[in-house]
Amino acid sequence: MPDRHPLLYARKHVRFGWWTLLVFLALGLVLETLHGFKIRMYLDVSNETRRLMWTLAHAHGALLGLVHIIFGLCLRTMPELCRGNIGLASSSLMGASLLLPGGFFLGGVAFYSGDPGLGITLAPVGAAMLAIAVYVMARATARVHLKKESDDGRKK
Amino acid sequence: MKWRLVYHDSVPDQSSRHLSSAPVIAVLVAWMALCVAAVNSRPRVMPEAEVENRPNQLAEDGFVSSDACQTCHPAEYESWYSSFHRTMTQVALPGTVQADFNDVTVPEVPGRPMRLERRGDEFWAEFDDPGWESPGAEQNRPRITRQVVMITGSHYQQIYWYATGHDRGLNVIPGVFLLDDQRWVSRSAVVLHPPGQSVATLDGHWNAICVACHTTSPKTKFDTPFRSKPFDQQTIDTTTTEFGIACEACHGPGGDHARANRDPFRRYLSHLSAGSDSSIIQPALLNPKRSSQVCGQCHSVWEFYNPSDERVANWEGFPYRPGDELTDTRFIAQPMQNRREPMLQKFLAEDTEFVRGSFWADGMIRVSGREYNGLIDSPCFRDATEPEKTLSCFSCHAMHQSPDDPRSLETWAATHQVSSPGSGDEACVQCHATIESDVRAHSNHPVESSGSRCYNCHMPYTSYGLLKAIRSHTVSSPSVAETIDVGRPNACNLCHLDKTLAWTGNALYDWYGTPPPALSEDESMVAASLLWMLKGDAGLRALTAWNLGWQPAQEASGTSWMVPHLAELMNDPYEAVRYIAYRSLRTLPGYTAFNYDYLAAQRERVGRVLPALQEWRASTVSRQRREPELLVDTDGTLRTDVMRELFDLRDNRPLFLRE
Repeated sequence: MPDRHPLLYARKHVRFGWWTLLVFLALGLVLETLHGFKIRMYLDVSNETRRLMWTLAHAHGALLGLVHIIFGLCLRTMPELCRGNIGLASSSLMGASLLLPGGFFLGGVAFYSGDPGLGITLAPVGAAMLAIAVYVMARATARVHLKKESDDGRKK
Repeated sequence: MKWRLVYHDSVPDQSSRHLSSAPVIAVLVAWMALCVAAVNSRPRVMPEAEVENRPNQLAEDGFVSSDACQTCHPAEYESWYSSFHRTMTQVALPGTVQADFNDVTVPEVPGRPMRLERRGDEFWAEFDDPGWESPGAEQNRPRITRQVVMITGSHYQQIYWYATGHDRGLNVIPGVFLLDDQRWVSRSAVVLHPPGQSVATLDGHWNAICVACHTTSPKTKFDTPFRSKPFDQQTIDTTTTEFGIACEACHGPGGDHARANRDPFRRYLSHLSAGSDSSIIQPALLNPKRSSQVCGQCHSVWEFYNPSDERVANWEGFPYRPGDELTDTRFIAQPMQNRREPMLQKFLAEDTEFVRGSFWADGMIRVSGREYNGLIDSPCFRDATEPEKTLSCFSCHAMHQSPDDPRSLETWAATHQVSSPGSGDEACVQCHATIESDVRAHSNHPVESSGSRCYNCHMPYTSYGLLKAIRSHTVSSPSVAETIDVGRPNACNLCHLDKTLAWTGNALYDWYGTPPPALSEDESMVAASLLWMLKGDAGLRALTAWNLGWQPAQEASGTSWMVPHLAELMNDPYEAVRYIAYRSLRTLPGYTAFNYDYLAAQRERVGRVLPALQEWRASTVSRQRREPELLVDTDGTLRTDVMRELFDLRDNRPLFLRE
């Protein structure tokens, strides 16, 4: 597979990150509204699971939005990162951003008393994808760092 | 545009790094010092296992306490938490004690006044030593000062228990706090009890008796049977899984259930399958008779079959578990069914007032807290053969509020956890659908009126407890003959308080063909409620006085004639009767602010009541009903001569109702 230009990845993730941030900050506003108007389907103790799940969806979604933006900025500042398996990192991060907050959200739509609904099964898959993306990026940054040090050694 | 990496390779000056980190370290040290100070300033809460002066909570034998249930069952936990079952027994803490203990003197108690004080978060009481038995002048009775450590009740009254200082033994302080009235009264003033007789207070009473039903899975742990030796020669190590009636009182021990459900796959399989979880008992899924026994383990008059069973329970806990057959391990006193059985005969031999103190003459329960006794004598339970057509506790009550219930949790809890916020007829019409299709034809009352509510006619307020009347939990039909034979008021005359038994007898004959019984002249000529108030025993007087304050009865009977009769009961020798009569009087127009103390000396009480009576006589209200059955002459004067005659026939046998 031909290497994609880092800018393409960067642009895609920055754009996705801002839109994700918008969606999940909007969800935060909705949740605040539910608090403000004391909506029982969200605030009753019997709906505690829903409240927890949707709060987690909001928090994970917003944070993942920020991760996308940082991911994009990293690619802009460190184009060498693209020499790693950046395609895998990118798609894993995309998948995590859909499955992790989505799983939490669906887990709170229908639930079983103290247990979230079956939608929650998406969350661990998303978490695994996030872990893969982070691992790939961590390895890529380590390579860049090592390469820089060896380049510096040659100059001396 | 070319992208390149830029690294900051310069090494910062060491001395400037030290300078810049100094404020950070200072802030960290200050923060840590604040944390230490905050932790040290918190009052130390003594771990439960270290408490030695009262029974303690110890989850064992597969019990795990409600803490383990909360995470997975938040809604159920919340509704239980709001219920008065949870707060039946509490440790005395600033958040649980509702009475004022700040240097309060309580003169209402027997003997010298009780003094109360707060010592930080502790509650202390000084009072006459109830255990002093030396002969001699009462003024020599020593005073004792004890720490209040436990509380019973949180709905109508709070009873406070003090640490006796001997092992974990508790006894009760001489005053009780009435929550509605926000006042202290003596213990004898909250039970229907013969005047002049003291209410027994025994060291260890809570440990031996109350613990059985006011806590979850208790072990009394007396080394010898209660009262078999002097209290201070016994060792008492009472423990219980949890104070109050908690989850495991009804669901059984939850340890296995909690352990099994740590497995998420098991949980989701259980969620997705239609079956119930076999690792725990769900009372609502038991057959109606077994499910009602879960409530009946406490809401009944029961006893162990023999003393050795009691000794086993003393050490190992009570053997009954939800789902078991209750009568395998307990004898349920049912005078209607088992009056001739040796167990009941034994009780009667030991205590001749055993039946009269708890049951009507025909064996129907007459005190509160024993509703299971009432249920099992109901034909809808006793004669039912199909589970789906069997009346059970859950037909009317819910231990956890339904998500569809629009009432607040507080309202649901305060209205006896009845499951339906609607008319309440739902439980009955499940089987009696033909009546529902034409209510008027059956009840002979307007469909929407209180006279068409099933429970007003078939479960009238004929039981007594907690200074009020409660509904009979034996479903029965109104009967004048029963009133004559047993002395129990019938539903018709508890609502139509201004009518005679003859009036009721004729109505029941006309409507249902019930033959009217032979009646005496009084029974034919005088309103039934007046007969009960003038001639009845203290229990009957208390019930009638309460029903005079019951709104549907006031609407059916009018209230203008009630004042002199309630005024009369406000000078009754029984404190409980006076209390109830006063509360009913305050429901009458013009008397809502009437001030009177049911515990005041007779002279003072008469001094309060007489002007009210004179005011009523002088008013036009007194002349609204000039009816002989209400003992009012055509000229508007009271028939005091007849009242006196009836009063002379009063059942004055001492009565102690064992609620």
